[in-house]
Amino acid sequence: VKRHMRPHPERFLNRELSWLEFNRRVLEEAEDETNPLLERLKFAVIVASNLDEFFMVRVAALKNALAEGDVSPDLAGLTPLQQLERISEGAHGMVEELYATLHDGILAGLAPRGLRIISPGELEPSVRGSLARYHRDEVVPALTPLAIDAARPFPMLSGLSLNLAVLLAPAAEGEEERLAVVQVPGGLARLVRPTGAEGMVYVLLEDVIRAEIGALFPGQEIRDVAVFRVARDSELDLDDEGGTDFLQVIEEELKNRRRSGIVRLEVEDSISEPLLSLLSSLLDVGPEDVYRVRGPVDIRPLMQLVDLPPLEDLRDAPLKPQVTVKARGAELFELLEERDVVLHHPYDSFDPVVSLVSSAADDPNVLAIKQTLYRTSGRSPIVRALARAAEAGKQVTVLVELLARFDEESNIRWARRLEEAGCHVIYGIRGYKTHSKICLVVRRGRQGIRRYVHLGTGNYNDRTARLYTDFGMMTTDPEIGEDASSFFNALTGYSDPPGMKKLVMAPTQLRERVLRLIDRERERAQGGQATEIQAKMNSLVDAEIIQALYAAAGAGVRIRLNVRGICCLRPGVPGLSENIEVVSIVDRFLEHSRIFYFRNGGDEEVYLSSADWMPRNLDRRIELLFPVESTEGRQKVLRALEAAFRDDVKARVLQSDGRYRRGTRWAGEPPFRSQLELHREAVRAAERMRQAADVDLEPLAAPEG
Amino acid sequence: MTSRTSKPAESRDVAGGGEPVVAPALEAGALENRPMAVLDMGASALRLVVAEAPRGEPPRVLEEASRAVALGKDAFTSGRLGAPTIEAALRALEGFRRIMDSYGVARYRAVATSAVREAVNRDTFLDRVRMRAGIDVEVIDGSEENRLTYMAVRAAFRGDETLAGDDSLLVEVGGGSADISFLRRGEPVYSGTYALGAIRMRQNLSSWHGSHEQRVRLFRRHVQNIIEDIRREMPLREAGQFVAIGGDARFTADHTVGEATDARVRRVDRERFLAFCEETAALDEDQLVERHRLPHARVETLAPALLVYQELLRETEALQVLVPEATLRAGLLLDMVRTAEGHGIEDFSKQVLASAAALGEKYRYDESHARHVAYLATRLFDELRSEHGLGERDRLLLEVAALLHDIGAFVSLRGHHKHGQYVLSVAEIFGLSREDMALISNVARYHRRATPNKSHLPYMSLDSEARVVVSKLAAILRVTNALDADHLQKVRDLRLLKTGDQWVLEVDGAGDLTIERLAALARADLLTEVFGRKLSFREAGGQA
Repeated sequence: VKRHMRPHPERFLNRELSWLEFNRRVLEEAEDETNPLLERLKFAVIVASNLDEFFMVRVAALKNALAEGDVSPDLAGLTPLQQLERISEGAHGMVEELYATLHDGILAGLAPRGLRIISPGELEPSVRGSLARYHRDEVVPALTPLAIDAARPFPMLSGLSLNLAVLLAPAAEGEEERLAVVQVPGGLARLVRPTGAEGMVYVLLEDVIRAEIGALFPGQEIRDVAVFRVARDSELDLDDEGGTDFLQVIEEELKNRRRSGIVRLEVEDSISEPLLSLLSSLLDVGPEDVYRVRGPVDIRPLMQLVDLPPLEDLRDAPLKPQVTVKARGAELFELLEERDVVLHHPYDSFDPVVSLVSSAADDPNVLAIKQTLYRTSGRSPIVRALARAAEAGKQVTVLVELLARFDEESNIRWARRLEEAGCHVIYGIRGYKTHSKICLVVRRGRQGIRRYVHLGTGNYNDRTARLYTDFGMMTTDPEIGEDASSFFNALTGYSDPPGMKKLVMAPTQLRERVLRLIDRERERAQGGQATEIQAKMNSLVDAEIIQALYAAAGAGVRIRLNVRGICCLRPGVPGLSENIEVVSIVDRFLEHSRIFYFRNGGDEEVYLSSADWMPRNLDRRIELLFPVESTEGRQKVLRALEAAFRDDVKARVLQSDGRYRRGTRWAGEPPFRSQLELHREAVRAAERMRQAADVDLEPLAAPEG
Repeated sequence: MTSRTSKPAESRDVAGGGEPVVAPALEAGALENRPMAVLDMGASALRLVVAEAPRGEPPRVLEEASRAVALGKDAFTSGRLGAPTIEAALRALEGFRRIMDSYGVARYRAVATSAVREAVNRDTFLDRVRMRAGIDVEVIDGSEENRLTYMAVRAAFRGDETLAGDDSLLVEVGGGSADISFLRRGEPVYSGTYALGAIRMRQNLSSWHGSHEQRVRLFRRHVQNIIEDIRREMPLREAGQFVAIGGDARFTADHTVGEATDARVRRVDRERFLAFCEETAALDEDQLVERHRLPHARVETLAPALLVYQELLRETEALQVLVPEATLRAGLLLDMVRTAEGHGIEDFSKQVLASAAALGEKYRYDESHARHVAYLATRLFDELRSEHGLGERDRLLLEVAALLHDIGAFVSLRGHHKHGQYVLSVAEIFGLSREDMALISNVARYHRRATPNKSHLPYMSLDSEARVVVSKLAAILRVTNALDADHLQKVRDLRLLKTGDQWVLEVDGAGDLTIERLAALARADLLTEVFGRKLSFREAGGQA
């Protein structure tokens, strides 16, 4: 739903350019020489893969708008064409910088340590023989050279697949040069380790093919060979967790009218002009969409180098998640009856959450378990526990949101297994994506029925729980328990959407609630009371909420925002947003938690949520917002919020022109890097717990999964 | 006809019917401590409440669920539940069943009100409910609904003297009808069910096309006509307080004084309430959807219901509208807890008798005579306890029958026992079901003249168990009524001396008791027949 508002460039930043700014911050991490080399490599790969998605989704959408004749400006005052021009300009610069740092900074630094990517020609002759055998036995059978001419139109290249473009001499005098395409087989390893080569030496698969390309075109004169790759409209929308949505509406007619669906062409910069012009004209790609790169094209496979065992010292020392809650089974339930538990992952281990579900599965007094699952795998210990619970005769309801519908085969398998075990599985809600993270355990105790609820900002995925910063809360608050039941009843269709006491649900109430909370601060500020808003999220895009924040800031509310990615709010504009400060943290863990704090005249309120302040989350998703009410829990959440604003190492401050700058470091003060500080705090808490418990120091078994 | 075994207060054991409950291994916990559920099939929605009530504590709600199903729309137009509606209801009930199972619910009570009650295909519908969802649904009548709602109202007002102070009008506008009670010092004295149901009124006008304003005018005229009738039955003007129950009343409270917090009773200023009703009436359904962001089905009842509240409120002197957090479900729950603890309808004897007395007043009964006969009848009932084997509930029915046995005299003294039977069979007494009233009307009918006979149709329409009860209670009433034959309350008390096969009725009285003695002996016919004992008469300290 497009909200009809006039453009206000002085009020809003363009979301695409803001996204590019985010990717630039990731690129800065790749460039940062204080980061270990393999960490820099990892950031470089992330920059590249982020760009791939950005082109397939956002750029594609803009190109569609353009093809449709859409000339209306967005809130930042830019028409689709203007946005595309700026994106092209920004992305070209970014790609150039990325390859510069990849070659001159990262790969150059790795070479002395024996990690090298070389061309087949650089190999020892003895090793070259083994590579030739590999080529003959494994590679050639997978190759299909395609000649392109008037009779044989350009083949449908799959998006992001790697290809070799081959320029052949004219077949006869007076004719034109011809193009052939050889697809690099996706089923073979991109980084080839030639047998017999010393150390960590790799050859790229496309170079192996290129070295013997003549054999594929016997009797032909090859004038040029270049690797290329296209990105197409994915017809998908992406979310902040790597999941994908089908775009709401794509009109058939529009799809046909679109040229080739190709939104970007990447080629090696060694490509000759005749080959490039032939290629781009056949693919129908304009020069603004062509990216010439130093190579390799598509650096994503380099990610596998990050984990090479011999290069331990070129990685950050791991920050081990701390186990702060050890109770299991009945003990865990008893603990939760006494107090709420608030966990901050990955500083705090995800084990207690797994433990809650598996304890529930094995506890004879548990009657039912209900849970939402989004982005998880069949190997997840939580999925196994749910199956076990159902087999034990408990009522298990699982709401599964599949990663992507075209990927059903693999995803649906474990969901079917849950069904076979006797779980009641619901495959999503029509029209809405279930993004909320909630688990409800119903258990009979001596005092009657009790409900144990876990609510989180991140998925029930023990793998991402080690990489993303997320908050989770376990509670036996009866009102939250009741709301949790109502929530699942609404999702399973057992009940119409209910009124809730403490939980707030999107798409029905979340937007209104957030607006009301912001507005309440504004009113309190006008009444001269102490006010402040702090919020942390992944993206801030929603115009209505941004306007409410401006209104609150105008009334004197101090607003501090920690927005990792896109931020369309323009801070520091005189008369509009001087009271608003926006920081972004890009560091080792992906910042992912959503925290909202309202001073509320001294009666402070702290909320956690699965939702960003984006129209998508507020209007087209099933999301939850929940209060943190225990003193201890609130302090923990607020400390994490505060840490981000104190960060002077990995935090960047958004300027009113939409650019980001590193914060000022105060002379004399030791640097404050929030993620490391929060880890230290978790270590101290675990230490305190060990001392307090004075227990036998039994070593923990490796976590499952 | 339903049998006497379907007492309103009875709840069903889940293990008794339908699919087996998923009951995971539990600690050996007493069944009665397991969660219970109540389920209500109203005219516009099906609703479920799961709760637990540790012994001696008020019920604690674990979970509530509701599904909008337009039973009333079907029932009040075609008189029959249509296939899509039935399917929607079954689907909702299957979901409810799963919710109940997830708590290992041990006992539940499922009731259906006017929409199902009036549907011609209700029996097949309820059978499908039983087969598919494994839920046994009991169809309750308006007075049972009144009683249950009153329980919830009383609970909401607990610790609050408001109701005890002034007379109150208690109004619940449902989909099919409006239940209205008049409370004196907090006790219901008049109650009735009236054709003011929001859905029914709306459906009646469904084929009528006219402007919104005209439609509202028609509604209002209909409401005012019915209120004319109500005015004849209850002293509306005397009500100093107005208690509004039902979803639409709560909605009005949400929008005038804010959403319910901990307050069990919200108070809305009279003018504010009336103004909100007026605003609502001014908007058509689409505008209401827009204004309140409500689903269409929800909005359909709002305007007609508020119209009824508005018109009734204007009839009273009340300065504010009291909106308690009281629902039929809450009443059902309280009632289940009560019955689980071994209580029955007799706990309500005070309210039942007050309501019966109000009915007596309306028919200008001889109060002294009525109360005296009621006293003597219950005395004799108690004396015969080991012989008749009846319970407290039957005692209460006897008491009501004794209080009202003469009300047919209002019509004509001649054949007044028959007039009384008719009046009682259609009258409403708070807390008593139609079956209860059928029984009472028969007992009252046999207070004089003929004894029960196969040729008496109203008698024969009772089931055999009820017929036996009627005979026993009528036997007692005949004798004790005779003991006050000249309406002077000369017999103060009585005892029954059971020696061998001869029973002696020893009375304690003043003055000449000859007439009473002769009358009692004549009216002992049924007693002798029922209990197989001859009765003789003796004055305390005197001779037989």
